[in-house]
Amino acid sequence: MSRLRRDLALVGWQILYEQRAFWRNRAGAFFVFLLPVIFLVLFSSIFQHQSIGIGGGRSITYVTFFVPGILAYGVIATTFNNMAIGTAVLRDDGVLKRVAGTPLPAWAYISARIGSTIVVTALMTVVVLLLGHYAYGADVRTATLPGLLVTLALGAATFTALGIGIVRYVANAEAAPAVANAAILPLTFISGIWFHFKLPTVLSDIGKVFPIRPLAHGMQYAFNPFTRGAGFNSTDLLTLAIWLVVGLVAMARFLRQPYRA
Amino acid sequence: MNAIEVRDLHKSYGSLEAVSGVSFEVAMGEVFCLLGPNGAGKTTTVEILEGYRTRERGAVSVLGIDPAHGSRELRERIGIVLQSCGIQTSLTVAELIEMYGRYYEHRRGVDELIEMVELDAKRDTRASDLSGGQRRRLDLALALVGEPELLFLDEPTTGFDPAARRHAWSTIRALCQLGKTVFLTTHFMDEAQTLADRVAVMRAGAIVAVDTPRALGGRELRPSTIRFELPDAKAAEQLPPVEGEVMADGRSIAVRTHDTVRATAAITGWALERGIELEHFSVTQPTLEDIYLELTGEHEAAPA
Repeated sequence: MSRLRRDLALVGWQILYEQRAFWRNRAGAFFVFLLPVIFLVLFSSIFQHQSIGIGGGRSITYVTFFVPGILAYGVIATTFNNMAIGTAVLRDDGVLKRVAGTPLPAWAYISARIGSTIVVTALMTVVVLLLGHYAYGADVRTATLPGLLVTLALGAATFTALGIGIVRYVANAEAAPAVANAAILPLTFISGIWFHFKLPTVLSDIGKVFPIRPLAHGMQYAFNPFTRGAGFNSTDLLTLAIWLVVGLVAMARFLRQPYRA
Repeated sequence: MNAIEVRDLHKSYGSLEAVSGVSFEVAMGEVFCLLGPNGAGKTTTVEILEGYRTRERGAVSVLGIDPAHGSRELRERIGIVLQSCGIQTSLTVAELIEMYGRYYEHRRGVDELIEMVELDAKRDTRASDLSGGQRRRLDLALALVGEPELLFLDEPTTGFDPAARRHAWSTIRALCQLGKTVFLTTHFMDEAQTLADRVAVMRAGAIVAVDTPRALGGRELRPSTIRFELPDAKAAEQLPPVEGEVMADGRSIAVRTHDTVRATAAITGWALERGIELEHFSVTQPTLEDIYLELTGEHEAAPA
């Protein structure tokens, strides 16, 4: 077996171990995976059975408006928060240093960490979509599904890279949740994740510069009953792509010296 | 070929020269110990050998490979127990050994390793629920999982209770019998004495002595000291002539001599003949600790 094939098999195994470790850490699994699901249940119970007419005798349930925002939040929680906090802990505990002393290549280890994150994000997406649709009657459009999934995947990649990259600026593992939330929470309010407030132009412009709004807006675009085509919003995708590059550069800088000497 | 060769190694952090011109070699199958106080440059030296740090100057070869190149081949052949190194705490002992084992081309079996470090009872316990000593034994198992030729042990028993330390020592000695080369750093004299074939004493970034624990710092050649107390100071004037130096402080006498057996016989014979009681009679050789404190210049700072 060639070395590359052996290494790819190693990545697969490592994803399994990462998954096992992730789900065993109850608190982590709760905040990362369950919180978006709880948001869905909460919003749905508040706005149960309410729907809005969209003309032509058709109507959509109110929940449909929240599902894209919940998904956007879920993507950020499962990728950015999970990576930033998890990686800071692994660095501070010296796990990264230990792994660096073994023959496992750094790329294989980081790929497995990312692979494991993809599994969690995908599961979260499936649970929110299925639960939203079948339990609460959210209107998931098949026509715009390609746009929805591409936006989601691009957002997940962007926030994963940013989550790893930011660890370089996290002083210690205890500070990681605070840093992650400080970076995310204020932006969620000016990025139209939950509700569309009438925001002062300055704030909404700030929101447009950062990657949360394009992710949320791109998802909402795909859920919008009036959207034609496959649900791709080029402005949102372009903004996310720029942030993906920023994230990859930050990630590469962190990976140059991932452990404390 | 030597397992490790270091020539004129230099490393500074800013204006602080942590390692300045260190040279030594470690033979295959040898247990080599780097001994020195905190801040002497031990960790910097060993981390350069392990490939964690880069050097400024000097030549380093570990198993014939320059560790600065971060080669995977080298990492296949070495095992590392770091001073304090975390682990994925939600995985169990068996899972961790299995997981880390997969990283190596040649690996030892999970059961064999668990038995070797005596964690049989903790096989399915998560790392978070292990005691400190059990964690260190797991560390050792993980360092051994790739069947390394060379094992780095950075202060392997710091924080152990005396029983756990003796236990760890017997495990390490068992490893030496398997023909592994061991590079040990410690600041415990007894650890160096018990385990090492050769000891290098490091002080302020330089090696001040390298030798077997017995011979270190000319220990074998140094005089021993015979101490005792006489019933009264007057008796001191009647002591028999002995080779060496006799120091009297009132009733307390200290004799520093190279001819220990003859001097002891002369003194005790003299005392028995005259019916003089020698209180607190003792004969001591300089300990490794005495030599170490002298070499590292910590004599003054050390508590009596």
